[in-house]
Amino acid sequence: MTAGLSLHGVHLTRGAVTALRGVDLVVDRGELLVVLGPSGAGKSSLLRAIAGLDPVTGGTVKIGGRDVTGLRPGQRNVSMVFQSYSLLPHLTVADNIAFGHRIRGADRRAAAARAAQAAATVGCQDLLTRRPHQLSGGERQRVALARVLVREPDVFLLDEPLANLDAGLRTRMRTEIRAVHDRLGATTVYVTHDQSEAMALGDRIAVLRDGRIEQVDTPDEVWHRPRTRHVASFVGAPGMNLLPGDGPLRLPGVQASAVELGVRPEHVRLGGDGTTRDGPPGDVERVEVLGEDALVHVRLGGHALIARVPARTRPAPGDRVTVGVAEEHLHAFDLVTGERIPLPAGAGRAAAR
Amino acid sequence: MSWHDFAKLRRRRTYGAVAVTALFASPLLLLFTGSLREPGLPPVIAPPLIPDDAGFTAYHQAVSHGDLVRAAANSMIVAAVGVPLSLLVASLAGFALAQLPRRLTNTVIGLSVLAMTVPAAALLLPRFVLFRTLQLTDTLVPLIAPALIATSPLYPLIYYLAFRSIPADSYDLCRLADLTPMQTWRRMALPQVQPVTAALAALTFVLTWSNLLDPMVYLYDRATFTLPLALRALAAMDPHNQPVFLAGAVLATLPTLLVLGVAQRRFMHSYGPEGAP
Amino acid sequence: MSRDRRQLLLMLTPYLVGLVVLVLLPAAATMAMAFTETDLIAGSRLVGWDNFVELTGDPAVRAAVGNSLSYLAVSVPLRLVLAVGLALLLHRRARAVGTARAAVLLPGAVPELAYGLLWLWLLNPIQGPVNQLLMLGGQGGRTMFGSLPPQWLTDPEDARAGIVLMSLFTIGETFVIVLTARLALPPEAYELAELEGAHAGQVLRRVTLPLLAPVLTVLVVRDTLLSLQASFVPTLVVTNGGPPPYATTYLSLVLYQDAFEYLRYGYAAAVAALMLALTAVAVLIQWRLLRRWASRGLVGGQARLPGN
Repeated sequence: MTAGLSLHGVHLTRGAVTALRGVDLVVDRGELLVVLGPSGAGKSSLLRAIAGLDPVTGGTVKIGGRDVTGLRPGQRNVSMVFQSYSLLPHLTVADNIAFGHRIRGADRRAAAARAAQAAATVGCQDLLTRRPHQLSGGERQRVALARVLVREPDVFLLDEPLANLDAGLRTRMRTEIRAVHDRLGATTVYVTHDQSEAMALGDRIAVLRDGRIEQVDTPDEVWHRPRTRHVASFVGAPGMNLLPGDGPLRLPGVQASAVELGVRPEHVRLGGDGTTRDGPPGDVERVEVLGEDALVHVRLGGHALIARVPARTRPAPGDRVTVGVAEEHLHAFDLVTGERIPLPAGAGRAAAR
Repeated sequence: MSWHDFAKLRRRRTYGAVAVTALFASPLLLLFTGSLREPGLPPVIAPPLIPDDAGFTAYHQAVSHGDLVRAAANSMIVAAVGVPLSLLVASLAGFALAQLPRRLTNTVIGLSVLAMTVPAAALLLPRFVLFRTLQLTDTLVPLIAPALIATSPLYPLIYYLAFRSIPADSYDLCRLADLTPMQTWRRMALPQVQPVTAALAALTFVLTWSNLLDPMVYLYDRATFTLPLALRALAAMDPHNQPVFLAGAVLATLPTLLVLGVAQRRFMHSYGPEGAP
Repeated sequence: MSRDRRQLLLMLTPYLVGLVVLVLLPAAATMAMAFTETDLIAGSRLVGWDNFVELTGDPAVRAAVGNSLSYLAVSVPLRLVLAVGLALLLHRRARAVGTARAAVLLPGAVPELAYGLLWLWLLNPIQGPVNQLLMLGGQGGRTMFGSLPPQWLTDPEDARAGIVLMSLFTIGETFVIVLTARLALPPEAYELAELEGAHAGQVLRRVTLPLLAPVLTVLVVRDTLLSLQASFVPTLVVTNGGPPPYATTYLSLVLYQDAFEYLRYGYAAAVAALMLALTAVAVLIQWRLLRRWASRGLVGGQARLPGN
């Protein structure tokens, strides 16, 4: 089976700025791949390279096995949802949805029927006669989505489609987007800087940093086995704690001076609550309560560390606590390359001291 | 600031507005009342502003003596061909400038600014030679020709700025739909800058309709005279018969006021808070 | 070359052709012609700098240069001050403001020639409404200020003042641009000034004018360019350059007369060159002033001039 979309060694330079530095990526047919990264990582450039809006300066782009590197955007059969939705103010919702379809020569009635059908798919069939300035943010988003559904492109591209919505609506819309994708089964690339969105939506997540892909894996893998220290610290809220290998936490079986050790805040145990053996002592500096959970900032032997604990059992600032981490929750990264070091099989089961 | 102060300020603004209206409308009102006087009377000292014998005799004389009907028809031909052509040239060029590479765009903008600094009178002579060589003097072609530079090189630049203020996403959308630049211009860009088009249409019309310099140089045959030129001939014929040439001036002014009024309504039209360019 | 690029160039072509054939080549031809003696019958012959030498001794040209410069010095600032004042007066909603905004545009909509004919009558010393208005309340043929009424068409000073007066009513475009710029200013700047307790004069000097400065400087340059040419129709129609010999003779009129009345094309081209040089100098001086203001921080960072 050919891939839905594949990129090989894609470089993209715009003026003095290099946005992509050799991106290799394969998206399976029907897969929803989320591209995740901080702003400036090259996420939008990646989408624009796939769409052909910015010409690549190296490498190849294939869609459904067809090399489209030299083709202009209109010949690639891709659809895109923009962050700003890009609805045309002079057209009604129906005409906005049918815009691309009409241009491609569909007659008015057929285009209107398709538009109505697409609108129904995303639940905006009641808005067809309105104009964009009469819509709320969520409604605009739906219309923008309906517009890409009106055609049957080989690849859907979504560029932070939920970034302009408020938190509640964002959660609801992402569920709907996933539902629409499951119904249509189209190859989709979805760009976001919001990792919870990425976790919730993606079949797989590609983590982008500085124009390079650091890891492409299922959300589970990205969470549990981050391939680089950057992935580890970027994914998670807050991200993984990183401490020097010869610091307060130790992992036998690795060269302590050549690694960095990581542990997720969720896996740090404080105080003697009985589940871990006593670890090294630390001082509680600050506590942030987030409803059920609390983030506890601990100073541990000169290093800052964050623990996520149930709010009911949280310590108070100024308390002295013991910091315990189960060994299977420790990650090791090469100090120089930042790459994950596979833990030696049967490494000692001693917990952090 | 209390409500009372606020209301007082508002009232003062209204007084100011009324004074401004009176000041700027008065020349036109005087033009009109002056044209209502009976023509051919000996000059009187301090005639009343609204004449006792108000009537439209001066208009009859102006139209018949000045051959204003034919002149108006010529002016309308020039405007009907020239104004749409001029807008077309301006919007096409402005669109292309907004899309082409920066270097080329900056060069063309520089040339346009340079062109704006050249005094119109300095171009008359070579243009005259050009049109005479092409045997186009005493036709309306030289009067329509400025449409090729969009009547004023400023207008393509205004379109350029308007097209640039359309979000880049909208252009990307059109590229994804495989629209040619021409289709993008017509289907996406032009409808969004409609208020600009309305304003420039009015300005272009006023400039074209009022053009006196070009007809003075290119037209000698009375049959080809445009309205301003016919009016000049009329005023020269009997410089002391003011009601007649004032009546002619009123007739020449009416279309521009009409166009301005219509354009102003279109100018105010936009697509809500987000769509306003 | 891609399909899109080709089509974009095609869209630009009509304008470029117009620009080259109707403006740039004619301008170059005029410059070249300035060094010849040309008429349409005998053809032309090169005369070097003769035309320019003759210019320096031509009383009409000398008068016109002086008149043009003094017209610029008086009319351009007055027009700008008037336009800014009106824009600030009419920028807020109140009853009758909409009508007033439209009224300011009216005189500019009158075709130039009709406008000239109108003023020919308005300024008529005996019958004209302007002098009638001035003589309201005056006695014995004197004005309300007790002076003799202005002789608009026969006294050189009064005639020049009349031409300036005519120009003050056609500020519609400038007014609209200033009004639009004022409406676009951020309300926060004014709220801040109000919180600091600034009075109206301080707000004008410290908030409004600095924020409008970029637009105003562009308008000054533009108005200078236009004014050099806009004095043409009024002088032709209303005063015909007089009262004699050259009270209201401006460069554009000299150029027109030399070319199309005396048929001295080469000499007229030299006048055009002089006019172009004057324009360039005026723009350059204003540009310098603008740069100096900018370096003092008076002009905002977004000063966008045509061409930049």
